[in-house]
Amino acid sequence: MLAVVDWDALLTVVWSSLLGGIGVTAAYGLVILGAARSVELGRQGRAGEAVVYGLLGTLGAATVLAAIVFGIVVLSDK
Amino acid sequence: MEDQLLTVIIVVATALAFDFTNGFHDTANVVATSISTRAMAPRLAVGYAAMLNFVGAFISLKVAATVASDVVDPESITLLVVFGGLVGAIAWNLTTWYFGLPSSSSHALIGGIVGAMLVAQGPDAVFFENGIIGKVMLPALVAPTLAFIVGGTAILVLYRIVGALKPRPVTTGFRGGQVISGGLLALAHGTNDAQKTMGVIALALVAYGSLPASDPTPPTWVVVSAAAAIALGTYVGGWRIIKTMGSRIHKMDSAQGFAAQGAGAAVILASTHGGFPLSTTHTISGAVIGSGAAKRLSAVRWGVAGNIVAAWIVTLPAAAAIGALAYAITRLFGTGAAGPLVVSLAIITGAALLFSRRAQRGPVVSAEA
Repeated sequence: MLAVVDWDALLTVVWSSLLGGIGVTAAYGLVILGAARSVELGRQGRAGEAVVYGLLGTLGAATVLAAIVFGIVVLSDK
Repeated sequence: MEDQLLTVIIVVATALAFDFTNGFHDTANVVATSISTRAMAPRLAVGYAAMLNFVGAFISLKVAATVASDVVDPESITLLVVFGGLVGAIAWNLTTWYFGLPSSSSHALIGGIVGAMLVAQGPDAVFFENGIIGKVMLPALVAPTLAFIVGGTAILVLYRIVGALKPRPVTTGFRGGQVISGGLLALAHGTNDAQKTMGVIALALVAYGSLPASDPTPPTWVVVSAAAAIALGTYVGGWRIIKTMGSRIHKMDSAQGFAAQGAGAAVILASTHGGFPLSTTHTISGAVIGSGAAKRLSAVRWGVAGNIVAAWIVTLPAAAAIGALAYAITRLFGTGAAGPLVVSLAIITGAALLFSRRAQRGPVVSAEA
């Protein structure tokens, strides 16, 4: 029975689900962290730290967007 | 009208009706999380899900290829086998819906086709090992488990990242994120579930002789009609769900909703890319349970988890038995359109009776896939 299973395809599903599901949600968490901290620190006049958190949020947003586009492009490859 | 042409029209119409009911049943799974966390207004969520269900159906054809060529032998398929399989799936779904039993429309569809094929052509025409076990049953078990793990891990990671922030920006941020994750979930649902119907219609077209058995890729009109049927079903189903939703949906915070939707979408999209026709409801349920369990173990709805296991075991053989019976009854009327016409009328009458009897007992929300 083990021989009939396409383990390569199944393992691809496992690792891509883990990477996509956890990676993208974590990256979006960074968007919220970066945005919230950036606003908070900006109000306190700590411009340098605010910019760093702003960049972190931007990086997270870029990762989320890139992952979604990449996923759809791969999926559309018929 | 030519007898075979009339038969293929009935089979395609039955397949699209099945697709519509699939979308109708599944609206709750796709939009519930977004609505319960107030990420989206109900009407907007339903319209958005229906639109992305439609778009999702165009993304890939790998699941359709699996259904059309890896489950049963397309060289041996006949129109009556496809019809018997569809009737088996519809009858099983109606029965489980009426009695409130756990089910899976996807497994019912495959089970129905297998049962009809067994009676029509014997076991040699069914690909038990490579198709049923390798591409249907094992992925059907792996996907909800994987979604549970991904959903649980994702929420733990998210709490770690945003745990020290004030609640307001977190809630607002994740509600915004749910527009993205909910959209991806609807896209994923559309692509996996609509393709099963495309695969079945492709089998019917192979039997009719308008598609080659060696390459049963669904033509564009099949893709468009299957996409439209599931999207319409999702949209129509939504109005019923909205009325009953408030008291039935498990409450979760917006971060959990985001993690569950993201996990469900990731697993369904990855499985679709692998060509695995899985149960989207079981996968979404696994992700929701996982995101709840990671926060508090007592939040796990073990009854739902048990139902998934029961459905996994029972649906395929039960739908196969009904599919076999439906084929045998249809065949009593010969090989022309008379059998499908009589059985279709019987199914429509039976469905109407069940709906009227069920409606007298109050509204029911039954989310299966």
